[in-house]
Amino acid sequence: MTDVTIEFRDVSKRYGTLVANDHLSLAIRKGELMTLLGPSGCGKTTALRCLTGYIRPDEGRIFIDGQDVTDVPTHQRELGMVFQNFALFPHMTVQDNVGFPLMIRNLSKAERAQRVAQALRLVRLEGYESHYPRQLSGGQQQRVGLARALVYRPKVLLLDEPLSNLDAKLREEMRFEIKEVVTRLEITAVYVTHDQAEALALSDRVAIMNRGRLEQVGTPEEIYEHPQSRFVAEFIGLSNFLEGYVQAVDGDTMVVSVGGLQMRIPVLAEAGPGQRVLLFLRPNEVELLRPDDPGGANVFDARVEKVTYLGDTLDYRLTFGQGLTLRVQSDAQRRFGQGAPVRLRFPRVRCWAITGN
Amino acid sequence: MRLARAYGRAMWDARLVLAYTLLLSLTLFILAPFLMIALRSVGKGWFGRLWLPPQLTLDWYRWAVEVGNIPEVMKNTLIIGVIAVAVSTVIGIFAGWAFGRRQMPGKEVLMAIILLPRMIPPITYALGVAQIFYTLELVDTYLGVALAHVSVCAPYAILVLSATFEGLDERVLEAAGVCGANTIKRFFYVVLPLIMPGILASMIFSFTHSYNEFTLTLLTYGPHTVTLPVRTYLAVGDGYWEITSAMAMLMVVPSLLILAVIQRRAKPEKLVGGFKGV
Amino acid sequence: MGTRTADMMRFWRTHASRLITLFLLLPALAGFFGLFFYPMLLTVILSFRPEGQAIGWTLENYTRFLADPDGRWVILLTFILSLGGTALSVLLSVPLALILREKVRGHRFYRLMVLVPLVVPGLIGALGLLLFWGTRGWFNLFLLQFVPFVQRPVAVNYTMHGLIMFYVWLYFPYTCITTLSSLESLDRSIEEAGEVSGATRWQVLRHIVLPLITPGILAGSVLTFMAAFGAFSVPLIAGGNYRPLAVEIYKQISVPIPARWSAASAIAIVMGVLQVIFLSLYMRFVRRAGGTGGPS
Repeated sequence: MTDVTIEFRDVSKRYGTLVANDHLSLAIRKGELMTLLGPSGCGKTTALRCLTGYIRPDEGRIFIDGQDVTDVPTHQRELGMVFQNFALFPHMTVQDNVGFPLMIRNLSKAERAQRVAQALRLVRLEGYESHYPRQLSGGQQQRVGLARALVYRPKVLLLDEPLSNLDAKLREEMRFEIKEVVTRLEITAVYVTHDQAEALALSDRVAIMNRGRLEQVGTPEEIYEHPQSRFVAEFIGLSNFLEGYVQAVDGDTMVVSVGGLQMRIPVLAEAGPGQRVLLFLRPNEVELLRPDDPGGANVFDARVEKVTYLGDTLDYRLTFGQGLTLRVQSDAQRRFGQGAPVRLRFPRVRCWAITGN
Repeated sequence: MRLARAYGRAMWDARLVLAYTLLLSLTLFILAPFLMIALRSVGKGWFGRLWLPPQLTLDWYRWAVEVGNIPEVMKNTLIIGVIAVAVSTVIGIFAGWAFGRRQMPGKEVLMAIILLPRMIPPITYALGVAQIFYTLELVDTYLGVALAHVSVCAPYAILVLSATFEGLDERVLEAAGVCGANTIKRFFYVVLPLIMPGILASMIFSFTHSYNEFTLTLLTYGPHTVTLPVRTYLAVGDGYWEITSAMAMLMVVPSLLILAVIQRRAKPEKLVGGFKGV
Repeated sequence: MGTRTADMMRFWRTHASRLITLFLLLPALAGFFGLFFYPMLLTVILSFRPEGQAIGWTLENYTRFLADPDGRWVILLTFILSLGGTALSVLLSVPLALILREKVRGHRFYRLMVLVPLVVPGLIGALGLLLFWGTRGWFNLFLLQFVPFVQRPVAVNYTMHGLIMFYVWLYFPYTCITTLSSLESLDRSIEEAGEVSGATRWQVLRHIVLPLITPGILAGSVLTFMAAFGAFSVPLIAGGNYRPLAVEIYKQISVPIPARWSAASAIAIVMGVLQVIFLSLYMRFVRRAGGTGGPS
């Protein structure tokens, strides 16, 4: 396991009766950008603070580069961190802010200046050396924070919701920039966020957390296409859930009965006939057809309950089968009015199911 | 320099021990005087090198009440305090409204000027106040002494209430208006509850200042308007430490009550915004 | 008559807002002029009058006080006492505030205790201090019984260092509370950033926390200094032969018969001018110190 840079081994942290981290075990590989994703209060920040040493876990150990750091004080852990509220030193210039970790490490003045210049070039902030943080915009301040975290080439870069204090447009720009810097330096990074779009765009792997536990760890594709639980599916932006049970398995396809209808979807390894399953469908992956279009497999009659105009798409609420409702978004070229009969087609490979209820 | 740094480091390493030592000595430093007063006020025949008084007595309290006339003095202090608080609060509300919510040219300068008395030692203008009060025959009247106290309390009330009115959110008033409240209803149901904590804080602190005021009182009091601090001063001059201690004990009780109220109701930072009557 | 009313109405309409403002400020202005400005003016005038007379002008009251070595000693003493008290208050307050910020056990009690000298009349504090530190008080009792080689009581009361200590007791809360509140408004994540960057707690304190709260400490020390400079009740009963300006002024009108109001007024003006000069210098210094740091 030499390629593991960070490892949480069975880490737990409680605040009174509140369990912030519940036997958390997670390994982060060298040079990878791992995102801890989850709603507020899911324990992702606690996990990060355990990593910095600001919080001591009640149980479990934490390893960085194979070394047990659970009892190592924060300042000896050789980490770099970017904060949500930037946390720049307001009484220091940009130069001194970025140079602070080097000053603490007693580097010579000349070397300090050179490394600071290098770090500032990396975040494209040359020429701002003598500015104070309050003279900079939010995006610039966060770049200073990034430079300060990277200047002494730490083993690990931690990012605690670094973009959530920026406005929407800047956020996308910075997202790209952070990704680029991290890739260029080939540094191991842990990124904490509650924004799923950010997590999918940035990460090599995503760890989704809920109530102090890990729900799923995987690449953005795995997480997005094959969520392993209803929580992950919901959090990642799925909104159609259909409950049913397996009727038959036929090669790589299984037939699922949902509200009296038969749907054919890719087979689940562990599912045999009679197994209850939960189907996930993305609103934009269901096809809307006219009622007189030809039928076939996975094509069902439905009725428009409600239409909402969203500009380039229309958002439909449909009813079909025995009391099933479904949200579908389709382009505005084909329009159906309220109460109109339509046909739905579920592309076989787009349906994803998990076992259980 | 190196030595100093090493010393600093050593102190830092022992910080937990040092912290508790500091807290303990501070407690002793601040509270021991009161303990001594308390013991002195109930002790009898406490001479020589004794830690505690050999006999206990309540005689000194009887003396304080009968000879020191403490109930009368307490009454004077309270009446003067109430007048001073009332006048300062009215001044404070009006000026606070003006400074906190109205546009005016040169607001900062005007405010600095009105708050100037806080920057000047009270004894300097106390001389003039005494002169004026002699001419107006306000010396040795409740109103006179109370007005003298207002010069100390009012700047403080203005400061607190300006901040209170400034903190009043215009949008809340607007919302109340949108909800259909007229000016009068808006005042009673929205404005008043919002500024009440500020007014209360200002009143508490004004009263503390008035209760403790000594400088201006000493120059404007007379036989009928002896207040508690003045009484203590006179008693110290007489040299009967036991009786003085008994008086002091009686005086400290209201102060501690005020302290309890402050702790519960207001931020202590506000207390230091104004100055004690030295 | 009709046009008069109309004129008044028009006047009211155009100036209403200002008139209301003026009306609101009226009580404050009346108080300011009646209880501060006019008394100050009287004091100034009186300080230039020959002693005991209502006419004539003279500088004698000033020259006599300032030329007298005793007079200059009083001024020096006032500064020694108030600056000494302020410096010690800062030295006491900064560690104390740092401790109280870390919610140590019983921190509520300690916070409340810091306020005690503020709400208790100064005279009572002085009385208790005199009792505690006196030759028969607990302090000397402790020294004599438990500390070897102490044969006779140590004098604290009515000495200069004793008086400075009393000042600290009375006036340190201003510095302490201001320091504490500026510490508590510090963003904790800034310190965390320092620690993650590799700084020890001590280095974080030295390079980050202290520079950031310096403006707060200085602002608090201004309050302590102002109160200590004008201190009256404590030196009056606990000062002994050490009489700062405020006490000196009072002596002029209470000891000699007839009272020397003009001399007292002159000293009072000297005192007021000194305080204003010193404060403006101090404020400038504070502002410069605050300019390089401080969250703004």
